[in-house]
Amino acid sequence: MSIAQQPMPRTGSRRRVMSRKARRTAWFYAFITPWLLGFVFLWIVPLTLGFLTSLTNYDGLNLPDLKFVGLNNYARAFTDEDALWSFGQTLKWTALNLPAWMVLSFILALILNQGVKGLGFFRTAYYLPSVVPTVALVWIWKIILDRNAGLLNAVISVFSPGTAIAWLTSYALQGLTVIAVWSGLGWGMVVFLAGLQGIPDELLEAARIDGASTLQIFRYVTIPLMTPVIFFVLVNGLIGSFQQFVVPQLLASIGGGAAAGFTQVPPRPVYLSMNHVNRQIFNFQRFGYGTAMLWLLFIVVAALTVVVFKTSRFWVYTEAKEK
Amino acid sequence: MTTRLTRREMLKLSGALAAGSVLASCGPAPTPEVVKETVEVPVEKTVVVQATEAPAPTEAPPLSGPIEGHVVVMHFLHEFTEDHVNVFQGETPGITVEVIQADLTRFFAMYAAGSPPDLLRVQAPSIPQYLARKMLYDLTPFFEVSEMLRLDDLAPANNYYKAYSPLRIGEGPIYGMCKDFSPDCTIFVYKPVFEDGGVSVPDDTKAMTYDEVFQAAQTLAKFEGDRTLVFGYDYEKGWVDRFMMNMLAETGGTIFSEDLTQLVIKDNEAALAVAKWYYDLGAAKLNDNIINPSPAGWFGTDFTQGIVGMAQYGFWYGAMAESDVTAGKVIMLPGPTWTGVRRDPTVTATGMIMAAATQVPEAAWKVFEFYNAGQPAVERAGSGWGVPALKSMWDQMPNSSDYEQQKLRVLQGELALETPPLQFNPFLGETTVADSWNTQMDRAFQGEITFEEALANVESEVNAAIKDGVDRLL
Repeated sequence: MSIAQQPMPRTGSRRRVMSRKARRTAWFYAFITPWLLGFVFLWIVPLTLGFLTSLTNYDGLNLPDLKFVGLNNYARAFTDEDALWSFGQTLKWTALNLPAWMVLSFILALILNQGVKGLGFFRTAYYLPSVVPTVALVWIWKIILDRNAGLLNAVISVFSPGTAIAWLTSYALQGLTVIAVWSGLGWGMVVFLAGLQGIPDELLEAARIDGASTLQIFRYVTIPLMTPVIFFVLVNGLIGSFQQFVVPQLLASIGGGAAAGFTQVPPRPVYLSMNHVNRQIFNFQRFGYGTAMLWLLFIVVAALTVVVFKTSRFWVYTEAKEK
Repeated sequence: MTTRLTRREMLKLSGALAAGSVLASCGPAPTPEVVKETVEVPVEKTVVVQATEAPAPTEAPPLSGPIEGHVVVMHFLHEFTEDHVNVFQGETPGITVEVIQADLTRFFAMYAAGSPPDLLRVQAPSIPQYLARKMLYDLTPFFEVSEMLRLDDLAPANNYYKAYSPLRIGEGPIYGMCKDFSPDCTIFVYKPVFEDGGVSVPDDTKAMTYDEVFQAAQTLAKFEGDRTLVFGYDYEKGWVDRFMMNMLAETGGTIFSEDLTQLVIKDNEAALAVAKWYYDLGAAKLNDNIINPSPAGWFGTDFTQGIVGMAQYGFWYGAMAESDVTAGKVIMLPGPTWTGVRRDPTVTATGMIMAAATQVPEAAWKVFEFYNAGQPAVERAGSGWGVPALKSMWDQMPNSSDYEQQKLRVLQGELALETPPLQFNPFLGETTVADSWNTQMDRAFQGEITFEEALANVESEVNAAIKDGVDRLL
């Protein structure tokens, strides 16, 4: 038998099969590596460092003499009056902002879903505040709501001269809500509108044929089918509300000056948890305490999110449930 | 034989790598050599910081040979410009300069990573804290051999950068210098507000007392119903603690205990009176604050719009005090006095220091010299945005218009007040006291708490911060 006629060694063929598998494996890792690296170095490492920081007396400059303080920073948060106040205000702000924002966004989406003329224009117009830089946005509202030179007080002063209501300080929580709802309306509206446009026409048609009124269609068809979207918006809004920082901080520039900026403290009604954390870290150089509070906030937000998820089976409609 | 990794093993390995990197990151960053100090904590609550000496003197620098290196400067980019960098690099081959925007967060991160900027823009109140942490490079040997920067040419405000220890600012080795400075308590007057209020414009050859300032502010402030049309007087809220210290220093007082381990206002009659003065001013809505916000967001802008009678800012503000509205109607007054004993009203003294951890001290010094005595310094001197840090440049300040000449006349009087600098607290960040004060007074202004409660809260907050600082540093 000539060499040419000899069968190929079985090992060679196995190697080809294995290398194909190896190639597939290599591709698998090649595809997930960027995400994995990002996850490890941009999430796991910073989070771990953040947690370790929360167990120390780190002040930004004392790395060589760092002291381990155990859970003292966490315990401190429960006796710190300002931490408790800011947390209370954060809850109030969330309770005020979240329903207002969701309801108004939903109403706006419902209106725009009625096939109005110039839908594209209105959609763009309502979404516009969402793309305005936050600093500009706060200043727009300051021009309107300022105590001494604001347009609103000027208008009221026509009827009641000398009116000077401190909308952004005495009514800062309401003022913040107005600003945040207005600026967030576009995003909420777009998401709700996408959900509304995803509701099959045949379902609405069938309900109409069955004699359902507009209100009944809304109550028994639209709302149930929108619950997954409402759930998504609710979770995002909840997390976003607890993370609110920039707008109150910008409101702090009222009465600011050359030394203003992120070292200033927002008006008391909108002194939220994130602002307290910022103040503790940058004004008091308590990085350890600040990060401990961030972890506590994370736990609260995670717990609330879990509650929303757990209760979702009672109110979020899914087709899977029907099967 | 080849070994094939399973996915599980791969993930384990990734985890191990991540853990390794975390642990590596937690290791101590390279830090400058530290000179041990003797510190005693003899009794509870009374911390005695004994002989906190300055870092060991640096040896005479070898500045004669060719110097090379890359120097990182953390500064405001509009103050240390790209043009400055190009000029310097053109004149000084071998040294490259990178200017990064001054940013406290970034500074902390760079310091934590063991690579702080070689040169850093700072304000005087931060010097004691940085010194206590051994973060500053002793520049005395450089100054002693420099042909551009002579110690005897430095204006007195530079004494903020001299120290025998963090607790003895004002004399000793020098760790930096002002880029320029201002007697910070001078008052800019918008004359039409005085005329409208029926008040004669104050004499610019005589310092007002703070009581007179208060009375004038009361007369000048103009309201329509609840609305404020004109603010009588205003000041930089972020520096309120510095102003208080300066007022009390007239008679040797301060807002701190002698060993700087306590903020004492409530039980310090003199400090309480100063604190009350500031509270009363705000409560009466004579200046901008939480219950009487500035329409422009900053009283400096309000002044240029003609709605502030008196704005207390340093000489630098003179460069912008005249707008289309206020041009030709502004004068500068000497800083007011609390007790009648005047003192140097410089409380900011913004300048530059060199990090003790720098790997390129000679190259950094060359940049330091250039910025503080070269072209940038000359430009600053001629701009009017501050008093040059070098006395030899004082004649370069603008003096062509009546307004500029008037400012210079008043300035001469302020510069003649050569008094020791304020001793800022090494256990506190530079914004801590003002932050606490403004936060608590806001609450008092809004009627949430009383002035006395606000004051108690300020003391409690600041003393907790001092205790943290003492624990960290000692």
